[in-house]
Amino acid sequence: MTDVAVAGGRTAWRGRLGAAPVTARPPLDARRALQLALAAIWLLDGVLQYQAFMFTSGFSQMLAGTADGNPAVIAKPITWDANLIGHHTVALNVIFATIQLLLGLGIAFRPTARIALAASVLWALGVWWFGEGLGGVLSGAASPLNGAPGAVILYALLAVLLWPADREVPAPFTAARAVGAHVARALWAVLWLSLAYFALTPDNRAPAGVSGMIAGMEGGEPVWLQDLQKGAASLIGNDGLAASVALAVALVLIAAGVYLPARTARTARTARATLVLAIVVAALIWVFAQALGGILTAGGTDVNSGPLLALLALAYWPLQTAAAAPVPVPAASGQPVASEEEA
Amino acid sequence: MTPAWILDIFAAVMLVVAAVSAARLVAARPWQRGAVVTDTDVSHLLMGIAMAGMLASGLTTLPNDAWAAVFAVLTAWFGYRVVRDYQASGTRALAVGHCAPHLVHSAAMVYMFLAITAPAAGGGAGMGGMGGMSGMSTLHVPTLAFVFALVLIGYTVWDLDQLSSLRYGLAMAGAGGGLAVDSPAGPGGTGHEGATGGGRPGLRPVLDSPGTIVGCRIAMGVTMALMLVLMI
Repeated sequence: MTDVAVAGGRTAWRGRLGAAPVTARPPLDARRALQLALAAIWLLDGVLQYQAFMFTSGFSQMLAGTADGNPAVIAKPITWDANLIGHHTVALNVIFATIQLLLGLGIAFRPTARIALAASVLWALGVWWFGEGLGGVLSGAASPLNGAPGAVILYALLAVLLWPADREVPAPFTAARAVGAHVARALWAVLWLSLAYFALTPDNRAPAGVSGMIAGMEGGEPVWLQDLQKGAASLIGNDGLAASVALAVALVLIAAGVYLPARTARTARTARATLVLAIVVAALIWVFAQALGGILTAGGTDVNSGPLLALLALAYWPLQTAAAAPVPVPAASGQPVASEEEA
Repeated sequence: MTPAWILDIFAAVMLVVAAVSAARLVAARPWQRGAVVTDTDVSHLLMGIAMAGMLASGLTTLPNDAWAAVFAVLTAWFGYRVVRDYQASGTRALAVGHCAPHLVHSAAMVYMFLAITAPAAGGGAGMGGMGGMSGMSTLHVPTLAFVFALVLIGYTVWDLDQLSSLRYGLAMAGAGGGLAVDSPAGPGGTGHEGATGGGRPGLRPVLDSPGTIVGCRIAMGVTMALMLVLMI
């Protein structure tokens, strides 16, 4: 903080806390850092929900569209919900946006982090059904390129994995702290193997399937992003099958990576390499196939799955110490955050 | 379009932030010798008014160019302060220093006032009633708006985490009463009474509390991110 001091008839600026080296720092471990990243994404989603488009009939129509192809037991509630929102668009959208804002703020504020994380799981499950049609998992529309298995379910998964409790001590990676390494690895494998499966469904492995999906995201994007997408679509062209197979292989490797033993330096390096691969794949999907979640078109409701997948990969990054104390990311104090979270 | 009453609510929040900052400035009694006035209060006061003018349809403030000039000066000032923080604390200054968020806030304001397209309605002397909030005006280089919004949200969640963690707790303990964040007395807190002259003892601690100060910055960050996203 900087102050201006008015003294002795003259004015002088002088520094306070801002200029002095800061010595009192709170503990920030990998899990808390990831929680804050999740909070930031919720906050961004809340802000996006206030966009003009969300207050139009287009929003309810978009929701109704997610019912297509789903079984009746899934589709009917979606249609009912979309109709309800269509009749009360402004009021309900304000509620939706405010809830998401509060979830972000609540996770970031330590005393309310637990309740906000729990609420985020419930909210995400509701949105996954009523807002995303279960991510197209049952309708055949799911693809890792368009956000399968539904971006919002990844919010719930992250909230569970980043829950401020320590079930397994010492934990091999952050995601194992709350649910244990076996469960965390199983969840990881199910997610990435399911993505590999979706990459190879008939529609997605069609000759023009991948390039068509990328090209379909260009509308309304800035020129630089359109150019990137055009380049990617042109590069893939009608080689959709080859692209899908390559993607599926990468996804299977990623799924298997967390099962590599960390006993030797070589396997540990390989395990980390698969996590880096996960982050790279997530980034490529986010930029080229998801167009940054459509945020720059003023019509995106969320960031889509790319950043969530990258965040998830960071939650599986091996902890460097065998102790229960978390590993510094980016610069931790060495104190377990759980003690403060419990406080 | 985004309903005007929603924007009016955010405008009201910004006016509250401006009022709190004004109260802190007045409480510091800058006309007295030895008084200490924080630059962030000046910044919050100006930003609160400017942003309220952008959000509320019936509020006319300064011309866009005037605001751009004001915030360009603030940007330069906080840029200078960040450089000094960097020299004192290294890269940690960007995360734990107080000036880096204000630098981003100021730069975002300059960007908004310079990059806005012609408002469709109610522009008047300022940006009051601008349609940007409700879907009629947009910003040039929308990618930059997105980047600014991301950084602002990042600082917001960081501020919230820090507010509820040991950092301010330790500072408060050192101040002996919750006046450490940017009280005139600093962490020691001994100059507080001198700065205020002992007046309104019940109000000053509230104004100087970390919750109030950081809360203002959080409200400003969220609202500014909202404005940027709405104008993409």
